[in-house]
Amino acid sequence: MHMKHLFAASALAVLLAGPVHAEGEPSLDLVQPIADYKIYVSERLQTLVADTTAFTDAIKAGDIDKAKALFAPTRINYEAVEPIAELFSDLDASIDSRADDYEQGEKDPAFPGFHRLEYGLWEQNSTEGLAPIADKLLADVKELDKRISDLTLPPEKVVGGAAALMEEVAATKISGEEDRYSHTDLWDFKGNFDGSRKIFDLVRPLIEEKEGEFVTKVSGNFDTVETTLEKYKSGDGYETYDKLSEDDRKVLAAAVNTLAEDLSTLRGKLGLD
Amino acid sequence: MLKGLGLAAGGGLAAGLIQNQAVAAEPAARHHVTDAPVGSGNLDQRQPYLGVHQAGIVTPRPSCGMIAAFDALAHRPDDLEKLLRRLTERIALLTQGGRMPQLDPKLPPPDSGIVGPEVKPDNLTITVSLGSSFFDDRPWLAPLKPRKLMRMTKFPNDALDRSICHGDITLQLCANTQDTTIHALRDIVKNLSDQMVLRWKQEGNVPAIQPSADGTVQSARNFLGFRDGSANPDSEDDTLMKRIVWVDESSGEPHWATGGTYQVVRIIRNFVERWDRTPLGEQERIIGRVKASGAPLGNGETEFDLPEYSQDPEGKMTPLDAHIRLANPRTPGSEENLILRRPFNYSNGVTKSGQLDQGLLFICYQADLEKGFITVQQRLDGEPLEEYLKPVGGGYFYTLPGIVDENDYLGRQLVQAVAENSSMRSSNQE
Repeated sequence: MHMKHLFAASALAVLLAGPVHAEGEPSLDLVQPIADYKIYVSERLQTLVADTTAFTDAIKAGDIDKAKALFAPTRINYEAVEPIAELFSDLDASIDSRADDYEQGEKDPAFPGFHRLEYGLWEQNSTEGLAPIADKLLADVKELDKRISDLTLPPEKVVGGAAALMEEVAATKISGEEDRYSHTDLWDFKGNFDGSRKIFDLVRPLIEEKEGEFVTKVSGNFDTVETTLEKYKSGDGYETYDKLSEDDRKVLAAAVNTLAEDLSTLRGKLGLD
Repeated sequence: MLKGLGLAAGGGLAAGLIQNQAVAAEPAARHHVTDAPVGSGNLDQRQPYLGVHQAGIVTPRPSCGMIAAFDALAHRPDDLEKLLRRLTERIALLTQGGRMPQLDPKLPPPDSGIVGPEVKPDNLTITVSLGSSFFDDRPWLAPLKPRKLMRMTKFPNDALDRSICHGDITLQLCANTQDTTIHALRDIVKNLSDQMVLRWKQEGNVPAIQPSADGTVQSARNFLGFRDGSANPDSEDDTLMKRIVWVDESSGEPHWATGGTYQVVRIIRNFVERWDRTPLGEQERIIGRVKASGAPLGNGETEFDLPEYSQDPEGKMTPLDAHIRLANPRTPGSEENLILRRPFNYSNGVTKSGQLDQGLLFICYQADLEKGFITVQQRLDGEPLEEYLKPVGGGYFYTLPGIVDENDYLGRQLVQAVAENSSMRSSNQE
C-alpha cells in the first residue's frame, strides 16, 4: 500500500516535470567527455607540479619577489581541478586550507599549504621558516598527481564538479577572503571558471539539442564572467581583488549564483544520480 | 554516503514500526519531545496581494518581520521589467499559497520544502521598495527618482555599519511564523539569482498579545520593556493614511509614484544591560510613559490616554526632552510630521564585549520623507535616550505602488514611465 503510494507520487512527478526534464539513464555518450576531462586534469596537474617546484624552490632560495610572482600562477591550476582534487580531502586540507580552519588561525603550527606560504610571503614579508612548509606542499602536490592518475573519474563527480566550483566561489570566494594576504583572488576565479566551463563544454554536445535554452543561458553567464574578468587583466594575470569595482563584483556574484543554480541541474539532465 | 542513507532509511522504517505498535497498544495520544509544537491554526490567514497600494504597510503586523536588502543588476529597462514581473509571480504564489511543482528526483527540487509540499499563506506579505542607488546608478531611471528619495545620511548618534546599510531593493517580509518569511526569502533568492544579490537582512518579532475583555488590544513591548506604538496613527482610517502615508497626485512626486510611500528602515541597537541598570523613574522620564501601563506621565491610566503637554509647559510631568514628547510634541503644525511605524524587536547574538546585541528593527512609512522621519529624528537628536541606543544600519527606500489586478505587475507604472521618457527623447531627436 505504502509502496504503491510512492510509485504513484513519482509517476506524478514525472508527469509534472514537463518537457525540459526528460531525464533518462546515464548515457554511454559520457565515456568520451570523461576521458577528455581526465586528460585535461592530467595536463593541469603536470603544470601544477612543475610550477609548484619552481615556486617552492624560490622560497627555499629566499627569493621573496620571485616567490610572490609565482604564487598566483601556480595556484590557478589547482583551482581549475579542485572538484577532483577534493576527492582526496586529506590532500585538499593540506594544500589549500585557510587560517580559519585552525583554532589559532595563522599562528597555529598546523596551518599548512599555499595559504600558510602566502601569509609568510605577504604578511611577514619573509621566507624564514617556510622551507619545511614548502617541501610539504610540493610532496602533497606530487602525491595528488599520482593518486589522480591512478583514479577512474566518477562521472557524477566530474559533471557535479561544474556546479561545485561555482558553489565554492559563491560561498567563500566572491568576498575576496580566499587570498586575503596577496589579494590575488581574481586568478583563482579564473581557474575556477575555466575548470567549470571545461566540464560544461565537454558535455554540452550531449544536451545541446534537447536543452538549447539552458545551454544558451549557461554559456551567456560564462561569457559575462569572462568579459568582466577580462577588464582586470594585467600582464599575464590579473589585478588585485581590491581593484574590482562594486558594480563588477555584483555582476560576478549574480553570474556565479545563477551558474550554481543552473549547473546544479546538469547531473540530472545527463541522467546521473 | 550510501551507508548513511541506508541507516537513515532503516531508522525511518524502525521508527514507523515502533510508532504503529505504540498506537496499537495505547490509543491515547502520546507526546514526544520531537513532536511538532501545536500551531496557532493561522496558517490559512491570507492577505490580498492586489490593490492600489502594496500589502504590508497598513496591514496589522503579524509576529514575524524581516527586511532583506539586495543589490540589483537590471542594467537595461527590459531587465527591470523582467525582474519586477518575476518578483510579482513569486509574491503571488508565496502570499496566496499553493502546491509547489515536483520534478524528477534526479534534479534539485524547485522549492526548499521547508514549509512542506503545500505552501500556506500564513499571513505573509512581501513589500518591495527601491533605494536611491537604484535610480542614481541608472541614467535611464535617474530622472524618475522620487523627489525626496536620498541615501540615508548619518544622524549625530548613528554609528552606521556599511555592511547593513542601503541597497537597491528591499523586501519587507512579514508573516505569522518565521518559517514562512525564511521560506519566502529563500524562494526569491533562488528564483531571482540572476538579477538580485543579497546584501544584508535583519529579522525581528513582535510579541503576540491577547485582546483584553473589552476588546482593546494593547501595544506590544519593545526590548526596553516599554509599550511601542501607542500613539501610532490609526491605520484603518483611510483619510488619515491618505494624508500621512500615501503619495498622491498632489504630492509633487513623479506621476508613476502615486500610490507608493517612503520606507525608512533603521536597525537601532539597544544597550539593554545598561538600560536594565537604570532607575525605573529615570527610564520613565526618558521615555515619557509609565513603564507598566504605558500611560503618559502624570495623566491617564492607559497607553491610549493622550498626554496634555499644553498644561505642562515646563515639563514638570513629562520632561521636555522625553522621547515621546520630542517625537510628537502635539503642537499646532506637528501633525505634518506624523509617520506610520511598523517596528519589530530583534535579537542577534553577543557583541565582542559580551553584551547582548538586541534592539529595534524600526520601520516606518510616510508620504514625505523629509517632513516625516527626517524631521522627527532631527527633533530626537540629542535626546537622553541616546545614551541607551545606537542606530547602526538601515536606509531610505521608496515603496512601489500596488499591483492593481492579476494582469498587472509590480512597478509597471515605473517601467511605463521609463518607456514614455525614452520615446519622448527619441521623438525630440527626430
